[in-house]
Amino acid sequence: MNEELDSQLSAMFDDELASAECELLARRLSRDTELKARWERYAVIAAAVRAERGVRLNARVARRVSVMLGSEPALAGQSAPRRSERRWLRPAAGAAVAAGVAAVSILWLRAQAPPGAVVATPPLAAVPAVRVTAPAVVRAAPPRAGGPDSYVVPPVARGAAAVVPATELANYVVAHSMFSSPVARRNLLSSFMTSEPGEAGMIPVSTEGAQAPARDAKSNAQ
Amino acid sequence: MGADASDLSLVRRVQRGDKGAFDALVLKYQHKLVKLVMRYVRNPAEAEDIAQEAFIKAYRALPQFRGDSAFYTWLYRIAINTAKNAVVSRDRSPIEYNIDRNSEESYDMQGRMKDSETPEALVLTDEIRSIVNAAIDALPEDLRTAIVLRELEGLSYEEIAAAMDCPVGTVRSRIFRAREAIDRRLREVFEGGLGRAEELG
Repeated sequence: MNEELDSQLSAMFDDELASAECELLARRLSRDTELKARWERYAVIAAAVRAERGVRLNARVARRVSVMLGSEPALAGQSAPRRSERRWLRPAAGAAVAAGVAAVSILWLRAQAPPGAVVATPPLAAVPAVRVTAPAVVRAAPPRAGGPDSYVVPPVARGAAAVVPATELANYVVAHSMFSSPVARRNLLSSFMTSEPGEAGMIPVSTEGAQAPARDAKSNAQ
Repeated sequence: MGADASDLSLVRRVQRGDKGAFDALVLKYQHKLVKLVMRYVRNPAEAEDIAQEAFIKAYRALPQFRGDSAFYTWLYRIAINTAKNAVVSRDRSPIEYNIDRNSEESYDMQGRMKDSETPEALVLTDEIRSIVNAAIDALPEDLRTAIVLRELEGLSYEEIAAAMDCPVGTVRSRIFRAREAIDRRLREVFEGGLGRAEELG
Protein backbone atom coordinates (compact mmCIF):
# COMPACT_ATOMS: atom_id res chain seq x y z
CA MET A 1 0.00 0.00 0.00
CA ASN A 2 1.03 3.58 -0.61
CA GLU A 3 3.18 4.74 2.30
CA GLU A 4 2.06 8.35 1.99
CA LEU A 5 -1.55 7.22 2.18
CA ASP A 6 -0.83 5.15 5.29
CA SER A 7 0.97 8.11 6.85
CA GLN A 8 -2.07 10.27 6.17
CA LEU A 9 -4.31 7.61 7.68
CA SER A 10 -2.19 7.58 10.83
CA ALA A 11 -2.39 11.37 11.08
CA MET A 12 -6.13 11.31 10.43
CA PHE A 13 -6.59 8.76 13.18
CA ASP A 14 -4.93 11.25 15.54
CA ASP A 15 -7.00 14.19 14.25
CA GLU A 16 -3.81 15.76 12.95
CA LEU A 17 -4.60 15.84 9.24
CA ALA A 18 -5.71 18.97 7.38
CA SER A 19 -9.46 19.18 6.81
CA ALA A 20 -9.20 19.06 3.02
CA GLU A 21 -7.09 15.90 3.16
CA CYS A 22 -9.50 14.41 5.70
CA GLU A 23 -12.37 14.86 3.26
CA LEU A 24 -10.57 12.92 0.55
CA LEU A 25 -9.30 10.22 2.85
CA ALA A 26 -12.68 9.78 4.56
CA ARG A 27 -14.22 8.96 1.20
CA ARG A 28 -11.60 6.33 0.54
CA LEU A 29 -11.72 4.98 4.08
CA SER A 30 -15.45 4.37 3.88
CA ARG A 31 -14.98 2.16 0.79
CA ASP A 32 -11.54 0.58 1.01
CA THR A 33 -11.70 -2.55 3.21
CA GLU A 34 -7.92 -2.81 3.47
CA LEU A 35 -7.63 0.76 4.65
CA LYS A 36 -10.48 0.19 7.08
CA ALA A 37 -8.77 -2.93 8.47
CA ARG A 38 -5.62 -0.89 9.07
CA TRP A 39 -7.70 1.83 10.74
CA GLU A 40 -9.21 -0.84 13.00
CA ARG A 41 -5.76 -2.12 13.97
CA TYR A 42 -4.68 1.43 14.81
CA ALA A 43 -7.64 1.56 17.21
CA VAL A 44 -6.64 -1.79 18.71
CA ILE A 45 -3.06 -0.59 19.18
CA ALA A 46 -4.35 2.51 20.98
CA ALA A 47 -6.58 0.41 23.25
CA ALA A 48 -3.77 -2.05 23.94
CA VAL A 49 -1.33 0.73 24.86
CA ARG A 50 -3.89 2.23 27.21
CA ALA A 51 -4.35 -1.26 28.71
CA GLU A 52 -8.02 -0.62 29.32
CA ARG A 53 -9.20 -3.08 31.90
CA GLY A 54 -12.11 -5.28 30.91
CA VAL A 55 -12.12 -4.04 27.32
CA ARG A 56 -11.93 -6.90 24.84
CA LEU A 57 -9.56 -5.98 22.07
CA ASN A 58 -11.37 -8.36 19.75
CA ALA A 59 -14.70 -6.67 20.53
CA ARG A 60 -17.23 -7.25 17.78
CA VAL A 61 -19.23 -4.11 18.48
CA ALA A 62 -18.24 -2.62 15.14
CA ARG A 63 -19.28 -5.72 13.18
CA ARG A 64 -22.58 -6.01 14.96
CA VAL A 65 -23.33 -2.32 14.46
CA SER A 66 -22.42 -2.63 10.78
CA VAL A 67 -24.82 -5.56 10.35
CA MET A 68 -27.62 -3.74 12.15
CA LEU A 69 -27.08 -0.61 10.06
CA GLY A 70 -27.74 -2.76 7.02
CA SER A 71 -31.43 -2.56 7.80
CA GLU A 72 -31.32 1.16 8.61
CA PRO A 73 -32.20 3.76 5.98
CA ALA A 74 -29.34 5.91 4.71
CA LEU A 75 -29.25 9.42 6.13
CA ALA A 76 -28.85 11.29 2.86
CA GLY A 77 -30.59 14.66 2.80
CA GLN A 78 -31.41 14.64 6.51
CA SER A 79 -28.40 16.49 7.82
CA ALA A 80 -28.73 19.64 9.92
CA PRO A 81 -27.25 22.89 8.58
CA ARG A 82 -23.49 22.83 8.75
CA ARG A 83 -21.84 24.91 11.37
CA SER A 84 -19.60 26.56 8.81
CA GLU A 85 -22.59 27.49 6.65
CA ARG A 86 -24.24 29.33 9.52
CA ARG A 87 -21.06 31.00 10.73
CA TRP A 88 -21.59 34.19 8.68
CA LEU A 89 -25.05 34.76 10.16
CA ARG A 90 -23.89 36.02 13.57
CA PRO A 91 -21.73 38.97 12.44
CA ALA A 92 -24.30 39.88 9.76
CA ALA A 93 -27.12 39.89 12.31
CA GLY A 94 -24.98 41.93 14.70
CA ALA A 95 -24.21 44.50 12.02
CA ALA A 96 -27.89 44.73 11.08
CA VAL A 97 -28.91 45.34 14.70
CA ALA A 98 -26.17 47.97 15.14
CA ALA A 99 -27.23 49.76 11.96
CA GLY A 100 -30.86 49.70 13.06
CA VAL A 101 -30.07 51.15 16.47
CA ALA A 102 -27.95 53.89 14.88
CA ALA A 103 -30.73 54.80 12.43
CA VAL A 104 -33.38 54.93 15.17
CA SER A 105 -31.08 57.08 17.35
CA ILE A 106 -30.51 59.60 14.56
CA LEU A 107 -34.22 59.82 13.75
CA TRP A 108 -35.07 60.20 17.43
CA LEU A 109 -32.54 63.00 17.90
CA ARG A 110 -33.93 64.82 14.87
CA ALA A 111 -37.45 64.51 16.25
CA GLN A 112 -36.35 65.93 19.62
CA ALA A 113 -34.68 69.02 18.17
CA PRO A 114 -36.45 72.41 18.74
CA PRO A 115 -38.52 73.63 15.78
CA GLY A 116 -36.35 75.30 13.22
CA ALA A 117 -33.16 74.01 14.78
CA VAL A 118 -30.86 71.78 12.86
CA VAL A 119 -29.49 68.84 14.74
CA ALA A 120 -25.86 68.72 13.99
CA THR A 121 -24.55 65.23 13.34
CA PRO A 122 -21.03 66.20 12.47
CA PRO A 123 -18.24 63.78 11.89
CA LEU A 124 -15.53 63.71 14.54
CA ALA A 125 -13.46 66.20 12.63
CA ALA A 126 -16.24 68.77 12.95
CA VAL A 127 -16.38 68.70 16.76
CA PRO A 128 -14.27 71.88 17.25
CA ALA A 129 -17.01 73.80 15.40
CA VAL A 130 -19.42 72.90 18.18
CA ARG A 131 -16.95 74.20 20.74
CA VAL A 132 -16.97 77.58 19.11
CA THR A 133 -20.74 77.95 19.52
CA ALA A 134 -20.77 77.15 23.21
CA PRO A 135 -19.32 80.46 24.53
CA ALA A 136 -22.19 82.26 22.81
CA VAL A 137 -24.56 80.63 25.27
CA VAL A 138 -22.28 81.55 28.10
CA ARG A 139 -21.75 85.08 26.97
CA ALA A 140 -25.42 85.85 27.50
CA ALA A 141 -24.85 85.61 31.25
CA PRO A 142 -23.72 88.85 32.88
CA PRO A 143 -20.86 88.40 35.34
CA ARG A 144 -21.64 88.78 39.01
CA ALA A 145 -18.85 89.84 41.23
CA GLY A 146 -18.08 88.05 44.44
CA GLY A 147 -20.05 84.86 43.75
CA PRO A 148 -18.68 81.38 43.20
CA ASP A 149 -17.64 80.34 39.70
CA SER A 150 -20.01 78.21 37.70
CA TYR A 151 -19.17 76.39 34.49
CA VAL A 152 -22.53 75.08 33.39
CA VAL A 153 -25.54 77.20 34.24
CA PRO A 154 -26.20 80.50 32.55
CA PRO A 155 -27.99 82.92 34.86
CA VAL A 156 -31.67 83.75 34.35
CA ALA A 157 -33.87 86.28 36.12
CA ARG A 158 -34.42 85.22 39.74
CA GLY A 159 -37.78 83.63 40.39
CA ALA A 160 -38.60 82.94 36.75
CA ALA A 161 -39.01 79.35 35.52
CA ALA A 162 -35.63 78.57 34.04
CA VAL A 163 -35.40 76.31 31.05
CA VAL A 164 -32.47 75.50 28.84
CA PRO A 165 -32.92 73.97 25.40
CA ALA A 166 -31.66 70.39 25.58
CA THR A 167 -29.81 70.60 22.28
CA GLU A 168 -27.96 73.73 23.36
CA LEU A 169 -27.15 72.16 26.69
CA ALA A 170 -25.89 69.05 24.96
CA ASN A 171 -23.70 71.18 22.71
CA TYR A 172 -22.50 73.01 25.76
CA VAL A 173 -21.57 69.78 27.51
CA VAL A 174 -19.72 68.60 24.44
CA ALA A 175 -17.92 71.91 24.16
CA HIS A 176 -16.77 71.63 27.76
CA SER A 177 -15.89 68.00 27.57
CA MET A 178 -12.32 68.74 28.55
CA PHE A 179 -13.54 69.75 32.02
CA SER A 180 -15.72 66.73 32.76
CA SER A 181 -15.08 63.02 33.14
CA PRO A 182 -16.23 60.75 30.28
CA VAL A 183 -18.65 58.89 32.59
CA ALA A 184 -20.31 62.04 33.89
CA ARG A 185 -20.55 63.42 30.37
CA ARG A 186 -22.14 60.22 29.10
CA ASN A 187 -24.62 60.16 31.98
CA LEU A 188 -25.67 63.72 31.34
CA LEU A 189 -26.10 63.17 27.62
CA SER A 190 -28.07 59.99 28.31
CA SER A 191 -30.42 61.88 30.57
CA PHE A 192 -31.11 64.37 27.74
CA MET A 193 -31.93 61.53 25.41
CA THR A 194 -34.18 59.64 27.84
CA SER A 195 -36.14 62.62 29.17
CA GLU A 196 -39.93 62.69 28.62
CA PRO A 197 -41.15 64.02 25.26
CA GLY A 198 -42.67 67.12 26.87
CA GLU A 199 -39.40 67.92 28.55
CA ALA A 200 -37.14 66.71 25.82
CA GLY A 201 -36.55 70.03 24.15
CA MET A 202 -36.05 72.00 27.32
CA ILE A 203 -34.25 71.04 30.52
CA PRO A 204 -35.38 72.96 33.62
CA VAL A 205 -32.50 74.08 35.79
CA SER A 206 -32.16 75.81 39.09
CA THR A 207 -30.82 79.32 38.96
CA GLU A 208 -30.18 79.67 42.64
CA GLY A 209 -26.69 80.94 43.14
CA ALA A 210 -25.99 80.92 39.44
CA GLN A 211 -23.69 83.46 38.00
CA ALA A 212 -21.74 84.25 34.90
CA PRO A 213 -19.15 81.64 33.98
CA ALA A 214 -16.51 84.24 33.37
CA ARG A 215 -13.60 81.86 33.75
CA ASP A 216 -15.27 79.34 31.48
CA ALA A 217 -15.82 81.87 28.74
CA LYS A 218 -12.24 82.93 29.06
CA SER A 219 -10.90 79.40 28.82
CA ASN A 220 -13.05 78.66 25.78
CA ALA A 221 -11.95 81.77 24.06
CA GLN A 222 -8.37 80.63 24.33
CA MET B 1 -5.89 21.28 10.48
CA GLY B 2 -8.48 21.45 13.18
CA ALA B 3 -9.37 19.31 16.10
CA ASP B 4 -12.06 16.79 15.22
CA ALA B 5 -11.66 17.47 11.47
CA SER B 6 -11.16 13.77 10.93
CA ASP B 7 -14.35 12.76 12.72
CA LEU B 8 -16.28 15.62 11.18
CA SER B 9 -15.33 14.58 7.66
CA LEU B 10 -16.58 11.06 8.40
CA VAL B 11 -19.75 12.39 10.05
CA ARG B 12 -20.53 14.54 6.99
CA ARG B 13 -20.17 11.50 4.78
CA VAL B 14 -22.60 9.53 6.96
CA GLN B 15 -25.04 12.42 6.86
CA ARG B 16 -24.85 12.29 3.07
CA GLY B 17 -25.80 8.61 3.15
CA ASP B 18 -22.41 6.86 3.35
CA LYS B 19 -22.84 4.12 5.96
CA GLY B 20 -19.28 2.92 5.43
CA ALA B 21 -18.01 6.13 7.02
CA PHE B 22 -19.96 5.29 10.17
CA ASP B 23 -18.13 1.94 10.33
CA ALA B 24 -14.87 3.88 10.57
CA LEU B 25 -16.22 5.94 13.47
CA VAL B 26 -17.37 2.80 15.28
CA LEU B 27 -14.03 1.10 14.71
CA LYS B 28 -12.23 4.11 16.11
CA TYR B 29 -14.34 4.52 19.23
CA GLN B 30 -15.68 1.07 20.13
CA HIS B 31 -13.01 0.37 22.74
CA LYS B 32 -13.29 3.78 24.34
CA LEU B 33 -17.04 3.50 24.50
CA VAL B 34 -16.98 0.02 26.03
CA LYS B 35 -14.51 1.28 28.62
CA LEU B 36 -16.81 4.22 29.36
CA VAL B 37 -19.88 2.00 29.74
CA MET B 38 -17.98 -0.29 32.09
CA ARG B 39 -18.21 2.45 34.69
CA TYR B 40 -21.89 1.51 34.91
CA VAL B 41 -21.88 -2.24 34.28
CA ARG B 42 -19.20 -4.71 35.28
CA ASN B 43 -19.87 -7.36 32.70
CA PRO B 44 -17.82 -6.73 29.52
CA ALA B 45 -20.41 -8.47 27.33
CA GLU B 46 -23.16 -6.26 28.69
CA ALA B 47 -20.97 -3.20 28.22
CA GLU B 48 -20.46 -4.17 24.59
CA ASP B 49 -24.23 -4.56 24.14
CA ILE B 50 -24.82 -1.11 25.58
CA ALA B 51 -22.04 0.40 23.45
CA GLN B 52 -23.65 -1.19 20.42
CA GLU B 53 -27.02 0.30 21.30
CA ALA B 54 -25.38 3.70 21.83
CA PHE B 55 -23.80 3.55 18.35
CA ILE B 56 -27.16 2.71 16.78
CA LYS B 57 -28.82 5.58 18.64
CA ALA B 58 -26.02 7.89 17.52
CA TYR B 59 -26.48 6.83 13.91
CA ARG B 60 -30.20 7.54 14.06
CA ALA B 61 -29.61 10.91 15.72
CA LEU B 62 -26.78 11.91 13.40
CA PRO B 63 -28.99 14.14 11.19
CA GLN B 64 -29.36 16.39 14.25
CA PHE B 65 -25.61 16.53 14.90
CA ARG B 66 -24.41 19.98 13.80
CA GLY B 67 -20.79 19.78 14.80
CA ASP B 68 -21.11 22.34 17.60
CA SER B 69 -19.24 19.92 19.83
CA ALA B 70 -16.72 17.20 19.04
CA PHE B 71 -18.26 14.01 17.72
CA TYR B 72 -16.86 11.93 20.56
CA THR B 73 -18.25 14.33 23.16
CA TRP B 74 -21.68 13.94 21.58
CA LEU B 75 -21.30 10.16 21.35
CA TYR B 76 -20.09 10.06 24.95
CA ARG B 77 -23.33 11.70 26.16
CA ILE B 78 -25.45 9.23 24.22
CA ALA B 79 -23.49 6.31 25.67
CA ILE B 80 -23.80 7.60 29.23
CA ASN B 81 -27.57 8.01 28.88
CA THR B 82 -27.91 4.59 27.26
CA ALA B 83 -25.90 2.98 30.06
CA LYS B 84 -27.94 4.70 32.78
CA ASN B 85 -31.19 3.62 31.15
CA ALA B 86 -29.91 0.08 30.74
CA VAL B 87 -28.95 -0.13 34.40
CA VAL B 88 -32.39 1.12 35.45
CA SER B 89 -34.31 -1.26 33.19
CA ARG B 90 -31.94 -4.23 33.48
CA ASP B 91 -33.93 -5.93 36.20
CA ARG B 92 -37.25 -5.33 34.50
CA SER B 93 -36.49 -6.66 31.04
CA PRO B 94 -33.45 -7.61 28.97
CA ILE B 95 -32.14 -5.14 26.39
CA GLU B 96 -33.69 -5.83 23.01
CA TYR B 97 -32.32 -4.90 19.68
CA ASN B 98 -34.14 -4.28 16.50
CA ILE B 99 -32.28 -6.89 14.49
CA ASP B 100 -33.78 -8.04 11.26
CA ARG B 101 -34.54 -11.67 12.06
CA ASN B 102 -34.86 -12.51 8.40
CA SER B 103 -31.27 -11.59 7.86
CA GLU B 104 -29.17 -14.72 8.17
CA GLU B 105 -26.08 -12.64 8.80
CA SER B 106 -27.75 -10.75 11.62
CA TYR B 107 -28.86 -13.97 13.22
CA ASP B 108 -25.39 -15.42 12.91
CA MET B 109 -23.92 -12.34 14.58
CA GLN B 110 -26.43 -12.57 17.40
CA GLY B 111 -25.45 -16.18 17.91
CA ARG B 112 -21.84 -15.09 18.32
CA MET B 113 -22.59 -12.20 20.67
CA LYS B 114 -21.43 -14.21 23.68
CA ASP B 115 -18.01 -14.80 22.14
CA SER B 116 -16.43 -12.05 24.16
CA GLU B 117 -17.18 -14.03 27.31
CA THR B 118 -15.37 -17.20 26.20
CA PRO B 119 -11.93 -18.12 27.58
CA GLU B 120 -10.60 -18.04 24.02
CA ALA B 121 -11.66 -14.43 23.68
CA LEU B 122 -9.90 -13.54 26.92
CA VAL B 123 -6.77 -15.30 25.72
CA LEU B 124 -6.97 -13.41 22.45
CA THR B 125 -7.20 -10.07 24.22
CA ASP B 126 -4.17 -10.95 26.30
CA GLU B 127 -2.38 -12.14 23.20
CA ILE B 128 -3.06 -8.91 21.34
CA ARG B 129 -1.93 -6.88 24.30
CA SER B 130 1.31 -8.80 24.68
CA ILE B 131 2.02 -8.54 20.94
CA VAL B 132 1.54 -4.78 21.03
CA ASN B 133 3.63 -4.37 24.16
CA ALA B 134 6.43 -6.54 22.77
CA ALA B 135 6.36 -4.57 19.51
CA ILE B 136 6.57 -1.28 21.39
CA ASP B 137 9.48 -2.54 23.47
CA ALA B 138 11.32 -3.46 20.29
CA LEU B 139 10.93 0.03 18.81
CA PRO B 140 13.82 2.50 18.62
CA GLU B 141 13.57 4.92 21.51
CA ASP B 142 12.42 7.95 19.46
CA LEU B 143 9.57 5.97 17.90
CA ARG B 144 8.59 4.42 21.24
CA THR B 145 8.53 7.78 22.99
CA ALA B 146 6.41 9.34 20.23
CA ILE B 147 3.79 6.57 20.17
CA VAL B 148 3.57 6.36 23.97
CA LEU B 149 3.18 10.12 24.35
CA ARG B 150 0.46 10.01 21.76
CA GLU B 151 -1.49 6.92 22.81
CA LEU B 152 -0.88 6.81 26.52
CA GLU B 153 -0.61 10.49 27.39
CA GLY B 154 -2.92 11.72 24.64
CA LEU B 155 -0.61 14.58 23.61
CA SER B 156 -1.08 16.39 20.32
CA TYR B 157 1.65 16.30 17.67
CA GLU B 158 2.57 19.86 18.57
CA GLU B 159 2.96 18.98 22.24
CA ILE B 160 5.02 15.90 21.39
CA ALA B 161 7.20 18.01 19.11
CA ALA B 162 7.84 20.41 21.99
CA ALA B 163 8.56 17.53 24.38
CA MET B 164 10.92 15.78 21.95
CA ASP B 165 12.41 18.99 20.59
CA CYS B 166 11.76 18.17 16.94
CA PRO B 167 9.47 19.41 14.14
CA VAL B 168 5.81 18.37 14.01
CA GLY B 169 6.45 16.60 10.69
CA THR B 170 9.04 14.40 12.39
CA VAL B 171 6.54 13.52 15.09
CA ARG B 172 3.99 12.52 12.48
CA SER B 173 6.57 10.37 10.74
CA ARG B 174 7.73 8.72 13.98
CA ILE B 175 4.21 7.89 15.08
CA PHE B 176 3.40 6.46 11.67
CA ARG B 177 6.54 4.32 11.61
CA ALA B 178 5.86 3.10 15.15
CA ARG B 179 2.33 2.12 14.17
CA GLU B 180 3.58 0.37 11.07
CA ALA B 181 6.08 -1.69 13.09
CA ILE B 182 3.41 -2.70 15.61
CA ASP B 183 0.88 -3.32 12.86
CA ARG B 184 3.18 -5.76 11.08
CA ARG B 185 3.16 -7.94 14.20
CA LEU B 186 -0.55 -7.46 14.77
CA ARG B 187 -1.54 -8.29 11.23
CA GLU B 188 -0.68 -11.92 11.86
CA VAL B 189 -3.47 -12.01 14.44
CA PHE B 190 -5.89 -9.87 12.49
CA GLU B 191 -5.31 -11.52 9.13
CA GLY B 192 -8.38 -10.80 7.04
CA GLY B 193 -9.98 -8.37 9.48
CA LEU B 194 -10.45 -10.44 12.62
CA GLY B 195 -9.23 -13.62 10.94
CA ARG B 196 -7.75 -15.49 13.82
CA ALA B 197 -10.16 -13.99 16.26
CA GLU B 198 -13.03 -15.47 14.24
CA GLU B 199 -11.45 -18.92 14.43
CA LEU B 200 -10.94 -18.69 18.15
CA GLY B 201 -14.42 -17.29 18.70
